[in-house]
Amino acid sequence: MFSYLLVNGMIIGGIYGLIALGYSLIYRASGLMSFVQGDIITFGAYMGLTFYKVLGLSIYASLFLTFACAFALGIVLEKGVIRVLLNKNVMPIYIVLATIAISFIIQNAPQAYYGTVTQRFPQVFSKSSITVFGVTNQTEAYACFVVSVVLMFALHIFMTKTKFGTAMRAAAMDPLAAEACGINTSLSTGVTWGLSAGIASVAGMLLGPMYGVYTMLGATLGRKGFAGAVIGGYGNMYGAMLGGMILGLVETFTAGYWSGTYKNFIAYAILLLFLFIKPTGIFNEQAIQDV
Amino acid sequence: MVNNKKLTNALVLAVALVALPFLIRVINGNEYGVMIMCIMLVYIIAVSGLDILFGYSGQISLGHAAFFVIGAYTTGLLNIYFDTPLYITIPLAAVFSAIIGGIIAYPASKLKFHFLSLATIAFGELVFNFLYVSPGGFTKDYLGIQVIGISFLTDYTRWYFFLLFWVTLGLLAKHSLVNSRTGRAFIAIRENTHAANGMGINVHWNKILAFMISAFYTGLSGALFVHLIKYISPETAKQKQSVLFLTMLLFGGSGSMWGPIIGVVILEILLELIRPFQEYQMFFYGALLLVVIIALPGGIYGGIKDALVSYERRKMGKNLPKSGDDNA
Repeated sequence: MFSYLLVNGMIIGGIYGLIALGYSLIYRASGLMSFVQGDIITFGAYMGLTFYKVLGLSIYASLFLTFACAFALGIVLEKGVIRVLLNKNVMPIYIVLATIAISFIIQNAPQAYYGTVTQRFPQVFSKSSITVFGVTNQTEAYACFVVSVVLMFALHIFMTKTKFGTAMRAAAMDPLAAEACGINTSLSTGVTWGLSAGIASVAGMLLGPMYGVYTMLGATLGRKGFAGAVIGGYGNMYGAMLGGMILGLVETFTAGYWSGTYKNFIAYAILLLFLFIKPTGIFNEQAIQDV
Repeated sequence: MVNNKKLTNALVLAVALVALPFLIRVINGNEYGVMIMCIMLVYIIAVSGLDILFGYSGQISLGHAAFFVIGAYTTGLLNIYFDTPLYITIPLAAVFSAIIGGIIAYPASKLKFHFLSLATIAFGELVFNFLYVSPGGFTKDYLGIQVIGISFLTDYTRWYFFLLFWVTLGLLAKHSLVNSRTGRAFIAIRENTHAANGMGINVHWNKILAFMISAFYTGLSGALFVHLIKYISPETAKQKQSVLFLTMLLFGGSGSMWGPIIGVVILEILLELIRPFQEYQMFFYGALLLVVIIALPGGIYGGIKDALVSYERRKMGKNLPKSGDDNA
């Protein structure tokens, strides 16, 4: 029982961590909160379905194309909507509302082709289940975990070891100073949004075989990602991963030892508790408190 | 003279408001239009409440539908289980909603903008989940609750006048609040928290107060809504309804008396217009929202005001000698 819950908690925690990472990246890069992140998961799941099932491409090609599409979507969102609003100097609430409006559109658009029925994502691996540490699970679930861990490491290396990653962090820290050093801040902000969207879309595609693909797939998951990001310390990359992991484990263990009914309730309660009592999160990210 | 003009305007408005439901009944041939107007009136109370919070004290809430639902469930459940008369439960619902608002605001009012919106979203989801899987199922869970309504309000025209009374009362109260010492304190906090603090305003307490008053309005609105529609489900507490309230407020223009009214009326009409699209409603709603946000960020009210100001300026500019481009 324990090892089963541990493994499953880590798998779902890895996904939450990926989503939380997207939120943190955007907050770091532009000081904004994107409420569309959750629905980009849905977008990724549908894109993956289109490439893999409808067009019959290989899984790696579909994964790559999904990432590319979402990356483009992220950049378009930043340049086409967010930047336009920022240049108009509107109240920040309008940017929040704009991202919510886009999330409505993404939730509703796939219906035109796929309808409202939950779509089954075809099996990716020939072996339907494998056993790790005495715990048997869908092969895709383990793949999900592996990919999320690999993505986190890749992102870490990209952000700390490459020139462009360093430029991105510099642009996030102080746009004016970064600009003075010859960094193209506009480009790097766009790329950050693209990366966040790309990560979320990969998470969505990985979830497809486990949960099925439906229009509200990302809405709840997106909010769980939020919670993960806040728990870890909003804006902190490693905090986001840790926070997501903690949330996944807590959720799975309460469901296993107590009751699955209050799973969501507990997740939101933890989020509120952290916001009220320790808003800086585990990694003590100083971004939140006012007065 | 000015007073006379004001009086005439008020009279014309009153006559129009009284005649409107009968007119719509005659044109439509049924009460559907009047029912929509009743819903508008209920929403005006809720959105005016949100305006006190966002428009005047500058705090954001993306979970206001939770207060709406708390108000509705309080009166509904009291009626179902204890058969308490409505003239007690409806005010009680508003007060209970205000208390919950105060409890949430006490820690939440310290949060910065984005995180306050996050906290209020989480609060809305919390309320939804609680009602959806309540301990012992006393909220009837996902089924929602049904009430019998108010006995002497037999048709929607009667409801219209009943609600009109509440809206008038609510708006008058809002007017006097905004122009009171407390209202000015709210505006000071909105404009600059630190300056307000320096001027001796108790920022934390006033922020909580704004939250409570706002929750009171929204709770009252929810309590009236449940008796009007005779049904409410936990789904209403979710983000979609909160976003609708906020959109109505921003669409009309926040921080004004007329903004919420204009926003509610126009948005309700638009929602009725996109109803034929059925399952694509949300798509059009989202697209509409996006276009409005990008094209008209000051809301309709702000847009009209800007247009009027620039018109006046142009009219005056004609009489003035041209003086270069220093205004641009």
